[in-house]
Amino acid sequence: MQDWLIHPVVQGALLPFLAGLVASALLAPLRLAGLAAVAGFATAVYLVVGFEFSPMTTIRKVMLLGLIAPVLGVAADFAFKPKRAMAPLVAVASGALSVWVFLAVLTQKELADALLIGGGIAAYVAWQVGFTLSLHEDSVRAGAAGLALGMGTGVAAVFAASATLGLYAMALGSASGAFLLVQMLTGRRILAGIAFTLTTGLLAGLLGATTYHLAQLPWYVLAVMAPVPLLARLPIPAKWPVWGQAVALSGATLTVSAVACYLVWLSSRGISE
Amino acid sequence: MKQIVAGLAFMLLPSAGVASPESYTFDPRHTFVHFGVDHNDFSTIWGRFDRSSGKFTIDRQAKTGTLEVVVETASVSTGDGVRGDRPRSRDEHLRSPDFFNSAEFPRMLYKASTVKFNGEVPVELQGQLTLLGVSRPVTLAVDRWKCAPHAVTKRMICGGNATGALKRSEYGMKWGIPATGDDVKILVTFEAIKD
Repeated sequence: MQDWLIHPVVQGALLPFLAGLVASALLAPLRLAGLAAVAGFATAVYLVVGFEFSPMTTIRKVMLLGLIAPVLGVAADFAFKPKRAMAPLVAVASGALSVWVFLAVLTQKELADALLIGGGIAAYVAWQVGFTLSLHEDSVRAGAAGLALGMGTGVAAVFAASATLGLYAMALGSASGAFLLVQMLTGRRILAGIAFTLTTGLLAGLLGATTYHLAQLPWYVLAVMAPVPLLARLPIPAKWPVWGQAVALSGATLTVSAVACYLVWLSSRGISE
Repeated sequence: MKQIVAGLAFMLLPSAGVASPESYTFDPRHTFVHFGVDHNDFSTIWGRFDRSSGKFTIDRQAKTGTLEVVVETASVSTGDGVRGDRPRSRDEHLRSPDFFNSAEFPRMLYKASTVKFNGEVPVELQGQLTLLGVSRPVTLAVDRWKCAPHAVTKRMICGGNATGALKRSEYGMKWGIPATGDDVKILVTFEAIKD
């Protein structure tokens, strides 16, 4: 049993997928299916290193924010009807928060580099949060974005030498895939809400940025990953069945993720260096 | 009378020199921190850090001493630094957040202020190792120790080996356990030049 639980595929994909599946199926009637994303992520954290928050390292800050985001999301989903300005505001706040996350790394750099890198990373996190959050009313598009962001960031992180970050991101992608699968099998949409989109957008943004800072992810891979939530907005016929929409949107978003992963692989071979 | 005072002072000087604490700086070309970790229950993989710096003081009469060593974690080398057919080499993986997280924690620090002696020879150091932001006690046994003037430069040099052990999980380095062992053997080989 123990040997089985320490297998990376089980830690980063299989059990997070099951956790996402159970959360999506059981919590959908309560309008809490958006918690599927954090269910998958938390499962991977528990299996890979466990919940420890001292000392508060960069990765632990990401873990903490990944656990806080769905709580805020659920509260927002139940407390008020989101307005148009919500996504940009939360995006800016998330970008600012990313400076706190990477403060220990940024303070070790020259001021000009710290400003450039910190600003770039804040923009990336804000972008991912803002555009993923804007999908909160369409659970199929949100699921397709979460699937591609998680899987793309995860595989890229593994190529960039960090298995821990890779498993965390892949867990997010697996749980998003489970969230999507429940809708495909039942033919009905379930609420993604802010709980799902804030969690996937923030975690994908922060995990990608962490892989850039702490592992060897080339910056341009983040630029390639950026359009994923935009591609999830591709116009598709509304009369298509849910599974058809999910397949089409996931195909589009995963294609971009695959390109990003290919670029990391090329960079690791020294081809673009 | 002046001659007697001068003579007494001359006689006292050597013993005063021995009694005072001596300060040494590690020679980075001859000082390395090595570590050994079990791999899949088959073998022990040894690695080392190529860059370190530090100082120690020793007072053989008072039987006291201090030690401070800074190790640059990005200098880790296990003999597997070439990627070959893989996306990353083992040394690159060791620098990643899975292990030493060198970008966030570029240095680890060992500070000791308690030294046990056997006669005039230090035999054990009790100190704190700070790694990945966590400080925990680590005891090093001094297995080999020699102080003598360098054959060419004539400067006093102390050298030797020290060994110890730790559990990496106690520092939050948990990736890969148990396939890559939790128990880490430490071997420090050092030479230091008197300041």
